[in-house]
Amino acid sequence: MRVGLFLFLLLIGSFNSLKSQVVDDVLGDESLFYAETKQVNQFFRRFNNEEGPDGVRYYKRDKEYHNPVSRKKYLEMLFDSRNSALTESIRNLFISEVLNADSNQYLNFHTGGWFAEVKTRFSYKSEDTFVTFFLELEQENMGYKWVITNVYFEPYAEIFLEQKSDSSKFLHPMSHEIDFMNLIKVFNDQKYIDNYTIKSFQSDFLTLFLYEFKQGYFEFKYVEDLKFHFFQIPGWYFEVEQFVRADYNSGWLISKLTKISEEEKSILLKYIYHN
Amino acid sequence: MKLKFIILTIIGLFSFSAFAQEEISPERKQAIDSLALEKVKDLSKYISIIGNKETSFSEANRVIERTLELFANNSQIGVSSLYRKEVKYYPVRKYLNRLMALNYDKVNIKWYNIQYISDLERQPDGTYVGVITIYQRFEGMQGDDLKYVDTTKKDITIYVKRKETIIGGRTIGFWDVMLGDIRVAETSKN
Repeated sequence: MRVGLFLFLLLIGSFNSLKSQVVDDVLGDESLFYAETKQVNQFFRRFNNEEGPDGVRYYKRDKEYHNPVSRKKYLEMLFDSRNSALTESIRNLFISEVLNADSNQYLNFHTGGWFAEVKTRFSYKSEDTFVTFFLELEQENMGYKWVITNVYFEPYAEIFLEQKSDSSKFLHPMSHEIDFMNLIKVFNDQKYIDNYTIKSFQSDFLTLFLYEFKQGYFEFKYVEDLKFHFFQIPGWYFEVEQFVRADYNSGWLISKLTKISEEEKSILLKYIYHN
Repeated sequence: MKLKFIILTIIGLFSFSAFAQEEISPERKQAIDSLALEKVKDLSKYISIIGNKETSFSEANRVIERTLELFANNSQIGVSSLYRKEVKYYPVRKYLNRLMALNYDKVNIKWYNIQYISDLERQPDGTYVGVITIYQRFEGMQGDDLKYVDTTKKDITIYVKRKETIIGGRTIGFWDVMLGDIRVAETSKN
């Protein structure tokens, strides 16, 4: 048995059947790579106990599929162990609720309740800048695709989220009788323009971004960072990020975890989207 | 082992009931995974040849063409290092041409004995897509000296498509595997 896998098996305390795979010119210790949660796909599978320690998938017909004993071991591995905010008590509470035989909580790739936050580097009007995109999976025909649902761009936020409010700024109700000639006052004052819009108006950064992108103001450079927000487990929110380090606790791991009510969920979503 | 692989691939990938079954069974998935891994190994072998100074210019160009046949159109390779957040994206041909220009006396690509193969997800156009993660050590030699060494994690997109071919007058469906975008991230430098 290979040393790396053996060490990893010791780590998770499980000895399941193995399938060996032949590769050429093999290097030494790979136990860290076995332990690493290498893909988000593997995060899902480990969370649900849908694969063996060797990474080979379990299917519904397999005895080990969703086995709660090995699942508990996987769940314990899926937290960023260097984050002191992820206390043992909150981790244990989460794991016990996830494993609760009555509720049986599993992550599902296709059913929504999770989304990606992608921090990208762009050149904007010839200056380097960040743009953050939020993406969700959307079904189309028989397949799925990631689609952009929202954008955060700081220069937009500076303009739209810090609106100057002044109760003296309005178009009086008889403005129509003067052919709205008082619009001249509205458009002579950039700072207060928001005061003249309908109460329910909400700026839409995605539309703004698309407009400016089509104008040629943005040039994509690269993806700098990626994380995922999960609301799939009822009563809980967690964040998953990639940790690149020479450690058994590495790869895609839970970096934030909090118990959350439905009311708090909408507040948190606003915070994530910077609304 | 090689014979076993070929038999497994033929059984798993070809179906005489052409297009009767669009879903990928666990057995077929295993055969597709094996074929995809073979393509990844071919890529690795070709990269070694392209990177070696002993390989003639014309031979390197021939191998580049063979390498490009492994890939779907417009595939890119995104490369980042440990010390920079910046990711540089190269079309595959450009990446291979750069590799040829590095001109080491010898290039060794060593594998860690692990690979992770994701599930296959269906795209809106019906093609399945998955990602294979491998770890490799790249060694660029000049004479007997190691000139450059790094270990990288490679996340390799694979596209799996149902296709048809006619053999002996019969239409036979099969699953074809192409490589797509590759994300190369350095994990250590030593």
